[in-house]
Amino acid sequence: MNGTYLLQQLVNGLAIGSLYALLAVGLSMVYGILRLINFAHGELMMVAAMASATFLAGLRVWPPLLLVGGMLLGGVLGVVVERVAYSRLRQASEVNLLVTSLAVSTFLATGALMLWSGQPRRFERVEVLSRLYEVGGVFVRGADIAILAMAVVSMALLTWLTSRTRLGVAMRAVAEDLRVAYLMGIDPSRPILLAFFLGSMLAGAAGVLWGWKFGQVAPTMGFVPMLKAFVAAVIGGIGSIPGAFLGGIVLGLAEVFFVGLLPATYSGYRDVFVFALLFLMLLVRPTGILGVSLARKA
Amino acid sequence: MLRRALIFLLPMLIVPLAAAQIRIGSLYNVTGDMSSIDAPGNNGLRLAAKLINESGGLLGQQVEVVTVDGQTDQTQLTNAASRLVNVENVVAVAGINDSTFALAAGPVMQAAGVPFVIAGATLPTLPEQIGDYAFMVPFGDDAQSFAIVDFAIDQLGVETYYMLYDQAYDFTLAVREFANQRFAERLGAGALLLEDSYQSGDADFSSQIARLRALPTPPDAIFMSSVPSDAGNLVQQFREAGFDQPILSADGFDTPLIVEVAGDLSDGVYFSTHTSLSSDDPQVREFVAAYEAEYGHPPENAFAALGYDAMMLIADAIRRAGSADPAAIRDALADTQGLDLVTGTITYAPGSRVPTKSVTIIGVQGGEYLFQAEVTP
Amino acid sequence: MTRERLDTVLYWLLAAGAIAVALWAQAGWNNYAVRLLTYSGLYVILVVSLNIVNGFVGIFSLGHIGFMAVGAYVSALATYPLARRPATFPTLPEWFQSLALPYPVALLLGGAAAALVAAVIGFPLLRLRGHYLALGSLALLVIVEQLAVNLHPVTRGSRGLAGIPMLTTPLWVWAVAVVVVYVAARIKSSGFGLLLGAIRLDDVAAAASGVRLTRYKMSAFVVSAFFAGVAGGLWAHLVGVIAPSVFSYDLTFRVIVMLIIGGLGSITGSVVGALGLFLLPEAFTYLEGAGTHGLSQLLLAVVLVLVMIFRPNGLLGRRELSLARARDGAGPGGRLGARTTGADRPNPDDA
Repeated sequence: MNGTYLLQQLVNGLAIGSLYALLAVGLSMVYGILRLINFAHGELMMVAAMASATFLAGLRVWPPLLLVGGMLLGGVLGVVVERVAYSRLRQASEVNLLVTSLAVSTFLATGALMLWSGQPRRFERVEVLSRLYEVGGVFVRGADIAILAMAVVSMALLTWLTSRTRLGVAMRAVAEDLRVAYLMGIDPSRPILLAFFLGSMLAGAAGVLWGWKFGQVAPTMGFVPMLKAFVAAVIGGIGSIPGAFLGGIVLGLAEVFFVGLLPATYSGYRDVFVFALLFLMLLVRPTGILGVSLARKA
Repeated sequence: MLRRALIFLLPMLIVPLAAAQIRIGSLYNVTGDMSSIDAPGNNGLRLAAKLINESGGLLGQQVEVVTVDGQTDQTQLTNAASRLVNVENVVAVAGINDSTFALAAGPVMQAAGVPFVIAGATLPTLPEQIGDYAFMVPFGDDAQSFAIVDFAIDQLGVETYYMLYDQAYDFTLAVREFANQRFAERLGAGALLLEDSYQSGDADFSSQIARLRALPTPPDAIFMSSVPSDAGNLVQQFREAGFDQPILSADGFDTPLIVEVAGDLSDGVYFSTHTSLSSDDPQVREFVAAYEAEYGHPPENAFAALGYDAMMLIADAIRRAGSADPAAIRDALADTQGLDLVTGTITYAPGSRVPTKSVTIIGVQGGEYLFQAEVTP
Repeated sequence: MTRERLDTVLYWLLAAGAIAVALWAQAGWNNYAVRLLTYSGLYVILVVSLNIVNGFVGIFSLGHIGFMAVGAYVSALATYPLARRPATFPTLPEWFQSLALPYPVALLLGGAAAALVAAVIGFPLLRLRGHYLALGSLALLVIVEQLAVNLHPVTRGSRGLAGIPMLTTPLWVWAVAVVVVYVAARIKSSGFGLLLGAIRLDDVAAAASGVRLTRYKMSAFVVSAFFAGVAGGLWAHLVGVIAPSVFSYDLTFRVIVMLIIGGLGSITGSVVGALGLFLLPEAFTYLEGAGTHGLSQLLLAVVLVLVMIFRPNGLLGRRELSLARARDGAGPGGRLGARTTGADRPNPDDA
């Protein structure tokens, strides 16, 4: 257990953590503005990944363009889901919203399974992304660097958007208190749409980046990451965007170090560990690290 | 009165006409994770039935194959087996290439007294565990594991190795056990430098790779006990991480996925399997030609041949029994001696339902699956 | 005879009828039809028991199938043929290798184990509310699955357990189903049920009125889990093989759909939902052949969304199929009991 090994785990943890962070931020944005846990969030990521693998990756386009393509796919799909399903249920009870969210998730997952079959599909990557670079004994994949870069860039852009643009500020206002925002003359439908679009775009980005990192994607890939994104958002403080980001990084590091530091026989318990962490957080500090006010917890 | 009698008699006429068909069940996971080996298996089976029908059928009757898909889900598979046996009333069931699924569905056939000819699952204790109505077409995992290990030691000069196995299947656990056993027998306990495991479906092997890299001396070979759906991935990730040693495996690697996923990184992969489809053996060539004529492309892997052989084995038993009664078929199967099939010769020693067959070793080179050797344990 | 009395007689007749059909099926039906009858009974048990928690108390739990898994494994281990134990469980101690329990005992044991797990996990889980609880319970499902995958000596990991004696008959399943429905009905019409309804409507107010939230939520949770565990045992001995992948989100979703479409809080709704949404897709699959399993799941999802939009309370809402009209007043059966959780988002469609 030398320094190089630990450093390697740190790098791995930051990479997977950034993926979780992107997903968690998207999930948190939607929850913040609609009080809805979008169960379909993971499936948005999956569809973007599968579609990119099938139609775009083979074209060998310039990677950033591919990433934007995946993001647009995710964003558009998210908006479609919102318009078709969630928008009609604005006044519905919590249970009904939840159930609808589950239904959309199942629809997307099953649809993808029927379209693409359960077999994992290869995600074509340019050499720059798939290659392992060595820096002082530590191996970093090109894709990992892309993930880290994307995470930082999107956080910066989001922060700018929500503090410097009218629509972004309106989004924050609606998330904070729908009724007061309404009274202030803000029409909530556009900010809601924006929140969905942006959040789903991040899911789409996560999908493409996942494909770059692992080299393969499958229709079953969305379920567990969605749960982990939720865990990350809870750790960081649900409703808080910087919190969700932080939570993602923390979760990624925790997961990797758990597997890396314990003997190999325990690596199968990785997900058990992650969810045990969730229960712990919910018991001890439900508002998360950068928690928002207690009254809006549920 | 007469009219009523006629209406009563009419079904009695139709029933014997309908029964002029021998119904065989094809039980495979045509969709889902196992599809890369099960779909070809089903194809092979149906091809054999078609050829039998073209040359006159069995006992003067046509063979009808009923395929039910297990969807690579144990519950679905068991329901499918029940449907074949109870609703479709087949006289024998053939299929399944994985031992865990064979164990799940086998009891259904055994309880119903219908012979179950296991096409491709290789756990040597299957017939014992399921019962006297279960027969295996392929060799056991002990035979194939010993064969690939012997090949590695004798032909590739391997003296040390790394073992990576899948925890999710009886098959992969058995191969790991037998391979370790053979290596220890021939090279001593020190030959195994490191052992590690994963769960089928894992996307990322970086932890295992990191642990392998941490070894002071690299192993001469990497043994991967895996099922087809993970094969391509494993090869790709380990090769990308810079491991150039020969990669060894059992028939779980007999899948086009290796070349499809890992591309030219798949050079230096060796595995044991049931037959080489590029062999000069006239029976193999005949099978390959017929398969290509029927399906428009050559057989994907040896499991296609195994499905074909399963049907031929049943046909041979029916001919010798002179009847399509399940119990009679079972007895005839148990007496099979020296039956020459595409994947080898089947003889069941008295009391055993696992054949002793030769093992074929295949090596991947330049995107091609090339014959290396034939080993008889 | 009053309308209510008529209802009671009717229900007892239906229960007797169900048992009679089960016996008839065992005596002479085609094996496939028997399987169908048995599976539908299983779904009835699962949905009605889930209703106790999700419908009566308003706690939206998604972990029900996790309890089913616990019951399945425990009961399977209890009845596993002694002759095959050394081969399947080589590392388990001597006392296990020689202890085989009778089927009813095994089922009860499975239910008890599930109830125990619910009691333990209930403490942290039931402190949550709404979406948080839903996700927490989903995490429970994943945890149970992962444990089943990793505890090789006991569960054989992902390979699952095959060769479980197939002891389940339609009679067993439908007898348990009748019991579950009876228990649920008794709860619903009792003081206990009234308190559960109070918790559902406004748990803060209920607590302020002296209702011991934890105790009541926990009781409902444990009872529900017990029956899920028994259902798991019945399932294991029907299919003869169980594996971690059986107790999946897919099965959870299926049961949830049956519950919601039938009507949260309505027992008869649950029975109708379970039967209808099992038999219809099954008929579909049988007609279309293999490969349409996904299609029926897809359609279920679409139907569910449509129901949520156009008939948010499901087919029966909180009412029961009965000859007596729904009564006014508070309580799970009455009009005021029709609101679902979510005080900040009242549902104008609630009757």
